Amino acid sequence: MSDRSQEKPVVLAVDDTPENLDVVKGILTPEYTVRAATSGAMALKIIEKQRPDIVLLDIMMPEMDGYEVCRRIKADEATRDIPVIFLTAMDQTTDEAKGFDLGAADYITKPVNPPILEARVRTHLALKFAMDDLHSAYAVIKKQKDRMQEELNVGRDIQMSMVPVEFPPFPNRDEFDLHAVLDPAREVGGDFYDYFFVKEDEICLVVGDVSGKGVPAALFMAVTKTMLKTSAMDDPSPASIFTRVNDELSADNPASMFVTMFLALVNVRTGEFRYCNAGHNPPYLLHSDRALTCLNERHGPIVGAMPGIVYKEGKGQLAEDDMLYIFTDGVTEAMDTEGNLYSESRLEKFLRGREGSTSRAMAEASLKEIEDYALGAEQADDITILVFRFNRALGGTAGQVLELSVKADLSEIQRVNAAIESFCEDRGLPAGISQKLGIILDELLNNTISYGFTDDGEHEIQVHIEFADNRVIVKVSDDGIPFNPFDQVAPDTTLSIEERGIGGLGVLLIREMTDRQTYQRLSNKNIVTFTVKTEN
Amino acid sequence: MKLEVKESDDIKILVFEGNLDTNTSPDAEATINELIDGGSQKLLIHFGNLNFISSAGLRVLLATAKKLKGTGGNLQICSLNPTVQEVFDISGFGSILKVTSTEEEALSAF
Repeated sequence: MSDRSQEKPVVLAVDDTPENLDVVKGILTPEYTVRAATSGAMALKIIEKQRPDIVLLDIMMPEMDGYEVCRRIKADEATRDIPVIFLTAMDQTTDEAKGFDLGAADYITKPVNPPILEARVRTHLALKFAMDDLHSAYAVIKKQKDRMQEELNVGRDIQMSMVPVEFPPFPNRDEFDLHAVLDPAREVGGDFYDYFFVKEDEICLVVGDVSGKGVPAALFMAVTKTMLKTSAMDDPSPASIFTRVNDELSADNPASMFVTMFLALVNVRTGEFRYCNAGHNPPYLLHSDRALTCLNERHGPIVGAMPGIVYKEGKGQLAEDDMLYIFTDGVTEAMDTEGNLYSESRLEKFLRGREGSTSRAMAEASLKEIEDYALGAEQADDITILVFRFNRALGGTAGQVLELSVKADLSEIQRVNAAIESFCEDRGLPAGISQKLGIILDELLNNTISYGFTDDGEHEIQVHIEFADNRVIVKVSDDGIPFNPFDQVAPDTTLSIEERGIGGLGVLLIREMTDRQTYQRLSNKNIVTFTVKTEN
Repeated sequence: MKLEVKESDDIKILVFEGNLDTNTSPDAEATINELIDGGSQKLLIHFGNLNFISSAGLRVLLATAKKLKGTGGNLQICSLNPTVQEVFDISGFGSILKVTSTEEEALSAF
């Protein structure tokens, strides 16, 4: 491609009459560089070697006429954009329509009028150069656009990877039932949710919506989530958590991103909860009798915008079979093909209908209704729904729970066993239950007391036994070295007396004699939980 | 836990009462070893009044079985309650040790 700022534009003149070529050369030189060809074939050869900026083409030529030359020029993608001007003799019947159909830019009649030739060449060259500029600009824009889309995709992937997706998330906990769904929009994003235990019986639920998109928004979300989790681990107040996180986020936020959030700390034993709403659409509390409460206090503005905000918080109480429905505005702002919003009123109607008994059924049914409503319309925003159902309060009556503080001394196991025996007897449980519990506690406590503590300090092991419905739930926690009893290798029980070793038997017994045994490491403690069914 | 030792001919019958677990296994093992060291080759472990056994107790049984096998002795175990039977099943001890339901069956196996 010629560098127009340095060189003169190149005109290729094609005519089987050499005198005509001389005329054209005379008119257009020295403003332009004029190349000449006396036949179509010669012209095409020249074009192949050095692309002209414009072609002046005689039509009537032997062997290959102007139309054919034009056709070939336009057929080749590399030369398609070179403007072609036909030169026709006055006395010829020229098929102008055919010429234009073939892609010619213009017609000039011979004998050539110099000012007209100059003007036409100038005009068409200007047009061509403008077109070239447009194409380059477009290529740059497209590259940018692809890069941006790629960044958006990466951002989206990061965001989606940050939300927990294993359900049920806490299979050993039957105090509640938790499920969340996140349906991402194609372009816009920013929704997230999280849940984690901050104490043995206290769970933190978060739903939020980060402004912006792409990788910067994803990073902001990651930072926000991490800060929330860190704060929540040792702060029992949602207001305080948001106050701290807001100060930290707004301190170093050059892109001025922000996030709307709702956070709740729920005591899963009693059903009490505290919550804070920072500019987020208010969640609903759906009672077991289908009455609906909207938790509509706002406790502060969006998080991350301005430091120094002191957030407030609210308190609530979940009763048996109550549900918390926490969501983002993608739900209420979902639009149908006519632009009507799904809105709070439809959502409330759905909630009152209480389609699902489990959190999962409820969340999925809700999402389906929204998707059906918006069918055919492009999804404008992420849709997030988190449903938390409180099953029943545990340990409501003192008589159902046995709490023991055990010193790290093997002789203490006797005391524990005696307590278990009378606890089971008082509840009229069959002997097999207390025997099983005795065996399991013997194994666990022996293990922990013998191997769990590497210093000479005083250590205590907490044993919590609860009788509920058709099972006994046992929780043993200690502050010893990290140790997961269920990591141990199971013994080979088919070996003979001579070959048989004793290792791993304890864990095998625990595993086989209980339902749902789990190990957690939380707040520097080992926590082993298991249940024993009292009926079959 | 109580451990009573009875005799029937040259068979020592060990009647357990209570739990054979972390705390009570050491003493039980000591008593058994005394008997074996004193020449007893025929031991009947009677679990009729045993409430439960944990892996600590299983350890004692295995050690005893190994010892007696080595000297050509005989170990029988009888009268397991359902929970103890379950422990034997899970651990595989039911297959490697000689277990009977009643004392009579056990005695006739010597």
